[in-house]
Amino acid sequence: MTKYIFKRILYIVIVFFILSFLIFMIYNLLPVDKAAEKAREEVTADRNLDYDARYTYWQERYGLNGSKFERYLRWLGLYPYADGSFHGLLQGNLGTSTKYAKPVAEVLAEPMKNTVLLNLCATLLALGITIPLGIFCAVRRGSRRDTAVQVGTIVGYSLPMFIIAIVFIWLFAVKLGWFPVSGMNTAGSASWSPMRQFFDRLRHLALPLIVMTFCSLGGMTRYVRASMSEALSMDCIRTARAKGLHERRVIYSHAWRNALIPIVTLVIGWFLGIFAGSLMVENIFALNGIGKVYFDALSGSDNEVVLALQMFYILISLAGNLLIDIAYGFVDPRVRVDR
Amino acid sequence: MLDHNHKEPTNEEFADTPRKKGGFLRAVTTPFGWLLRMVLGPSKSLTEDPASPKWESPSRLALGSFFRRKLAVAALAVLLALFLFVFVGPLFLPMDVNYTDALQANIAPNYAMLSLPRALKGQIRDINGYANFTVGVSNDNRLFMWGYTKDLITGLDYSDFPAEIRDGNVCAASAGYDHIIAITTDGKVVGWGNNSRGQYGAADASDDLLPMPDALLHGTVDISKIEQLTCGYQASALILDGKLYLWGNSAALLNMDELLEAADTYTAQNNIRVKKIALSNYYAAVLFEDGTMTGSNLIFNRESAVSSKNGKIKNFKNYLADKEIIDIAATDNCFAFLLSDGEILVNGAAKYGEDEIPVIGDGEKFVSLTAGTRHFAALTDGGKAWSWGHNDGGQASLDGVAADRIFAGAKQTYLTDAGGKLIKKVGFRGYLFGTDSRGRDILTRIVHGGKMTMTVGAVAVIVSSFIAIIIGCLAGYFGGWVDLLLMRLTEIFSAIPFLPFAMLLSFVLRYYPIGETMRIFIIMLILGLLSWTSLARIIRGQVLSEREKEFVLAAKSMGVRERKIAFRHILPNIISVILVSMTLDFAGCLLTESSLSYLGFGVQQPQPTWGNMLSGANNSIVIQNYSWQWIFPALFLSIATISINIIGDTLRDVLDPKSNREK
Repeated sequence: MTKYIFKRILYIVIVFFILSFLIFMIYNLLPVDKAAEKAREEVTADRNLDYDARYTYWQERYGLNGSKFERYLRWLGLYPYADGSFHGLLQGNLGTSTKYAKPVAEVLAEPMKNTVLLNLCATLLALGITIPLGIFCAVRRGSRRDTAVQVGTIVGYSLPMFIIAIVFIWLFAVKLGWFPVSGMNTAGSASWSPMRQFFDRLRHLALPLIVMTFCSLGGMTRYVRASMSEALSMDCIRTARAKGLHERRVIYSHAWRNALIPIVTLVIGWFLGIFAGSLMVENIFALNGIGKVYFDALSGSDNEVVLALQMFYILISLAGNLLIDIAYGFVDPRVRVDR
Repeated sequence: MLDHNHKEPTNEEFADTPRKKGGFLRAVTTPFGWLLRMVLGPSKSLTEDPASPKWESPSRLALGSFFRRKLAVAALAVLLALFLFVFVGPLFLPMDVNYTDALQANIAPNYAMLSLPRALKGQIRDINGYANFTVGVSNDNRLFMWGYTKDLITGLDYSDFPAEIRDGNVCAASAGYDHIIAITTDGKVVGWGNNSRGQYGAADASDDLLPMPDALLHGTVDISKIEQLTCGYQASALILDGKLYLWGNSAALLNMDELLEAADTYTAQNNIRVKKIALSNYYAAVLFEDGTMTGSNLIFNRESAVSSKNGKIKNFKNYLADKEIIDIAATDNCFAFLLSDGEILVNGAAKYGEDEIPVIGDGEKFVSLTAGTRHFAALTDGGKAWSWGHNDGGQASLDGVAADRIFAGAKQTYLTDAGGKLIKKVGFRGYLFGTDSRGRDILTRIVHGGKMTMTVGAVAVIVSSFIAIIIGCLAGYFGGWVDLLLMRLTEIFSAIPFLPFAMLLSFVLRYYPIGETMRIFIIMLILGLLSWTSLARIIRGQVLSEREKEFVLAAKSMGVRERKIAFRHILPNIISVILVSMTLDFAGCLLTESSLSYLGFGVQQPQPTWGNMLSGANNSIVIQNYSWQWIFPALFLSIATISINIIGDTLRDVLDPKSNREK
């Protein structure tokens, strides 16, 4: 098992380097030269300065001198700057945001908390609904209720998130007035008592949560149903039934264990995939999460924030793959033997 | 799943096989028979060949069970109808991508803009419109209004006439963009609609408002002396006994103060009456009885003019110097001047063919002129009506129709005889699906946007399937290090988070000066390049398992070449998996494209797609008030993806032998 995990980690590290190189190269396609901008700014302010000298100075300062590969390593923190220091990704330097004039790490701290909270809640809610529903459908396969749920889930996963969001805003925020249309808190809520602030925040987050949960119902229910009905058709289930085990025991103990293997993949993969989904929700509801920050950075050409967040998304995805692999190793004993 | 209605063939049917027909007849009927068989399937005599009495190919079986599922057949029918709608529709609904019209913005679905009320038809005195609604006054002093008469933001309904307006007491009326001015038979000037910018009634004379003159506001006017009443964008004008009254928003009608002063000075100095005023969207021009006019020098000096006789004119003012103008009219952006010899001059930014003045026969000349928002209409002395300019509803299609009087609504032209009986009405009927915030027809944009969305989705799926088939087949068939390498590549690609990465690529593209078509093409490629991994894995798995089967071994032992085994023996066995996956991926690509476009990182405005048509819809004003702007695109997109997913799902069920067996 240790060997297996070690192998996977090694592999993920290699993929990380490949992908980060790819992202860095794409980022470098942007025709933006920070050093030239800075130097030009200085020279216009003070005519005595020599542009070339200032340009070289800022290039070295920003670590933009040298070949592309050197710059990539420097950005990662594996190659020294002109003054011999290392401060790249590995040292925790994510760059500087031009919009906020702050280090990217600081800009991202608060939104990151919000996003993770939102995603965790949405995941738990969705799992709580879809797993029982999927099991129910698999057990009652072919029944009228199952067919109805099947049609419903097709509709559910065919609709893009923004349409569901618009319809829900129309229904719950505009027509019924239960929730606010967008935003994180009511204007002027800073002076309220902490309790009231908390409930205000909850009320603002409710609709995005509902939308995110609803969007994942369709796909996940189908997945759970498929893996459960696959498990129910196994020979071991027939044996269990032939032994005269109680039906509940057959389903929740024998079949569920077998169905769990693909579901584990799904849950982790889906939790990570939802970061991209929360990108959409955060923008629709104007929530201060990293998806919104990413969108704003792209719209406002805040390039270093874009680069940092892109790396974050990649890291999340790789970590997810690693988690899936390890979880597979735990849940399915065959995996460990195979590899 | 076999056809149980199968009958044993009789001897008579054996005798009637096509093989027994004569040589010539066969040569004629055989191609026809092929054609028939393509459509209807094998003829009875062929299917009931005793050599294979109950044999059906798996694909026919699957097809049969597909068509037995009502939901799937319905989804297929809906999808085909949608395809027809978006690929044939553009032929009937041409679209000008850059078209916008602020006056037509946010109109709810409405198809009654041309529909003159029946009671008005025989006795039209005047018809007048500026934007979405038209007013008409009948010979028996009744007021009518038709078109789209609501403003959902202010909550106004222009067809709610005020208490002063009673049946049969209106002698003149004019419609502006968001207000109406009417004069009753007892001489009262009544206004209603929006008056936030001094369109009517008492208003503060702030520096960009010209309030309604007191004489009109409180007194009455002599209705026999009304010469012209006209309304424009937040501005109104009345000519009463040769005197000009002008009021409204001088930040909307930019030369309002200047013009009123110039007209007053000129009439006082020369003791001359004002004959007519024409309001365009931003400027007004006044015609005097001596055949001269005044207007904003800003446009008459700058914009070039076109004459019906002499073509382009450089110096418009000099050209007019010794000529007599007898009529003027204005569209949104153009002024037209009719000279006493029948020559017409059009001055302004003629974007929609307002300056393509029709050539009429010798011996005839124009005698009067009127204008809608983007078209002109004119009458000749021979009683023939002509119209030209923007022709999106046929309003500018009149070419010498006999009429005595001519009226123009915003996008409509009405012809009547001398007694006010309607002869002909042409023009714009309205918007079935309403308009968006820039005044563009949503139906047209849905049709063209659907074409774009479907094309992007289809190309992306083809690209991704192409990559997936090549990589999956190579990895599965060759195995070994090829498999290892390709599968690592697949894993790397599948680790890329789709939406953020596509947004990044689109963001980088913005810095490069490429055309919109190229951009769209690159977006298709991006979508395809990022979504092939799962299909490649499936194909590899399938190829791996097929490769080990006996029929491949048999083919190998018979000495069939490798390439033939791969493409003629293995590929047909996995084609069903590819087909199902392609169908489901198509829906996925539609979704991702529209999500990207919705966020503004896919296909850009003004080029429509179902996704970017919705990008303006995430604020409560649009969601609440302009529901048609998001309901229709959302509905079409949802129907398309739902039906594709149903089809894909059913295909997977019927093509998978395991799921068949279980049922």
